[in-house]
Amino acid sequence: MEDMYHADRAMSTQQDIKIKADKVQVYYADNHAIKDVDVEIADKTVTAFIGPSGCGKSTFLRCLNRMNDTIDICRVEGDITIDGEDIYDPKVDPVQLRAKVGMVFQKPNPFPKSIYDNVAYGPKIHGLARNKAELDEIVEKSLRKAALWNEAKDRLTAPGTGLSGGQQQRLCIARAIATAPEVLLMDEPCSALDPIATAQVEELIDELRQSYSVVIVTHSMQQAARVSQKTAFFHLGNLVEYDDTDKIFTNPEDSRTESYISGRIG
Amino acid sequence: MQSLTLPFIAIAGLAVLGYFLAKSRALQVSGGDIRKLVSLPSQHALNAVLATIVPAVAAIFLISLYVRLTDGTGSWFFQFVVIGLAVTGLALSLIGIKTETRARTFAERWILGLLIFASTIAILTTIGIVFSMLFETFNFFGQYDWRDFFFSTNWSPNFRGNSDLGIIPLLWGTLYISFIALAFAVPVGLFAAIYLSEYAGPRMRAVAKPAIEVLAGIPTIVYGLFALITVGPFLRDYFAAPMGFGQSASSVMTAGLVMGVMLIPFVSSLSDDIINAVPQAMRDGSLGLGATKSETIRQVVVPAALPGIVGAVLLAASRAIGETMIVVLGAGAAARLSLNPFEAMTTVTVKIVSQLTGDTDFASPETLVAFALGLTLFVITLGLNVLALYIVRKYREQYE
Repeated sequence: MEDMYHADRAMSTQQDIKIKADKVQVYYADNHAIKDVDVEIADKTVTAFIGPSGCGKSTFLRCLNRMNDTIDICRVEGDITIDGEDIYDPKVDPVQLRAKVGMVFQKPNPFPKSIYDNVAYGPKIHGLARNKAELDEIVEKSLRKAALWNEAKDRLTAPGTGLSGGQQQRLCIARAIATAPEVLLMDEPCSALDPIATAQVEELIDELRQSYSVVIVTHSMQQAARVSQKTAFFHLGNLVEYDDTDKIFTNPEDSRTESYISGRIG
Repeated sequence: MQSLTLPFIAIAGLAVLGYFLAKSRALQVSGGDIRKLVSLPSQHALNAVLATIVPAVAAIFLISLYVRLTDGTGSWFFQFVVIGLAVTGLALSLIGIKTETRARTFAERWILGLLIFASTIAILTTIGIVFSMLFETFNFFGQYDWRDFFFSTNWSPNFRGNSDLGIIPLLWGTLYISFIALAFAVPVGLFAAIYLSEYAGPRMRAVAKPAIEVLAGIPTIVYGLFALITVGPFLRDYFAAPMGFGQSASSVMTAGLVMGVMLIPFVSSLSDDIINAVPQAMRDGSLGLGATKSETIRQVVVPAALPGIVGAVLLAASRAIGETMIVVLGAGAAARLSLNPFEAMTTVTVKIVSQLTGDTDFASPETLVAFALGLTLFVITLGLNVLALYIVRKYREQYE
């Protein structure tokens, strides 16, 4: 089993570059939150961002779909490109970008609508379906991909808030998938879930790698080790080390990385 | 009923006396060393004061309610009971002072009693209001046929007798004016709330929110003047007269619009609180899917806040139905059943006032009708409030 994972990882690291960040700086008012981050994120790969609280990993994640634009005092400098296209170019509409770069949040946040309407929300807004039948199809496909179809198919009209925590998070993943994104950002998607739900979501993340470039922020080093092929370690706003997950956890180059994964800081 | 002044003075005096007696007795019991006492002298004093006041004041309230409802007259006996209760409470608490007495926990119990008493007053007053209206309403229906009252479409009181006292024209005026007021206040208030909570920056919000709430502090009679000298003539000269809707400055439209202005802060302030209570995670979720800000508000924030907004609107509706002053000055006092919004009409509340002014002998149907009108109005607004509470409760915290 272990060997198979390793083989997988070796293969996946050969993929193309999907997201490229160059000298990214983020400021919250006068606070310099992200300093000089350069990173290349591969397609069809799970990339994990780890690091102690307040190290900037979530802030950096939110740069990738310009969610930081919704915070008035936040300022982003540097270049971030997706498929070679600068996402901070004035010509780019952040609203369109966010459809392409889906996001799943720390706490499951289904809308107070039916399960169906939760998933159909994005496709409806972006006009992805020509008619009801197509919309039905998108909803079913998204729920299937999120491994929620079997549990939800008989209660599509029930409110999404009535599901259990783990089901809600998978609904949020289905909702993000439904807009046909190319990248999925996940901000500590399992931190509000119990171990069983966590295992289900992790399994799902591993499957999503087939179709998307997945970036996951996590507090749990075990989780990073289980689901990711590449790992980036952030500390005090700096990207300290970025390499294959195996290498980071077995043979880190930087002493700070080693201290963190061995539990001495963080 | 005998004057209540004496019992009140007696209770106050006994309470002050009790404070000092209890304090000195506690000190005396301790033999000068208060560390021997389970409760401090001031706690014994508090206990004595509460034991004197709480039962006696509760008794005064219950007795006056009883006397009022039974139309009986009070007697020296009641005063005796009240003062007796105060003295007994004081005496018992003083006798109870020993080194091991837990006056602190006893005082807790008296405070609980005081709090229960305060909430009882609110509830009993409501019941008292209903009953006093009910008696007079029964008197009215003894003299006037209830079918004529509820189904006659004519309102023409005549103080020599033989009046037509149909509620329908008044109810129609009330509902028509309230409808116009809400049709104006709900969209304006809601949009203002959305702007304030979703778009306005902190500095704008700090100025605009209190500025809107100033509207709530204006006395309704001032709104009435505004309707009378500004809005009424304006509507007549620029809308009613050119369009051939009549020459009246007092109109349903005048009163309705001005009342709508009065209701804006109600709707906006409550809706603003409710919209702010929608978790940020909802907005992030929608924005993260590529929705714009206004799509997010329309499809996620407002639906999530809807139960609360409906509650706010129903509370505003109760307010509109009970409003009097703006109607007197804005819409006139003529009871009429008409669809023309530029015609003078009047409401239930205005007629209650005019039926009772200058006549305090509640014997004829012309005056007693005021109570029937009042009770009808009370039932309507009570129904709206209950509905509002039900809606708010049923859908509250559907998100989370």
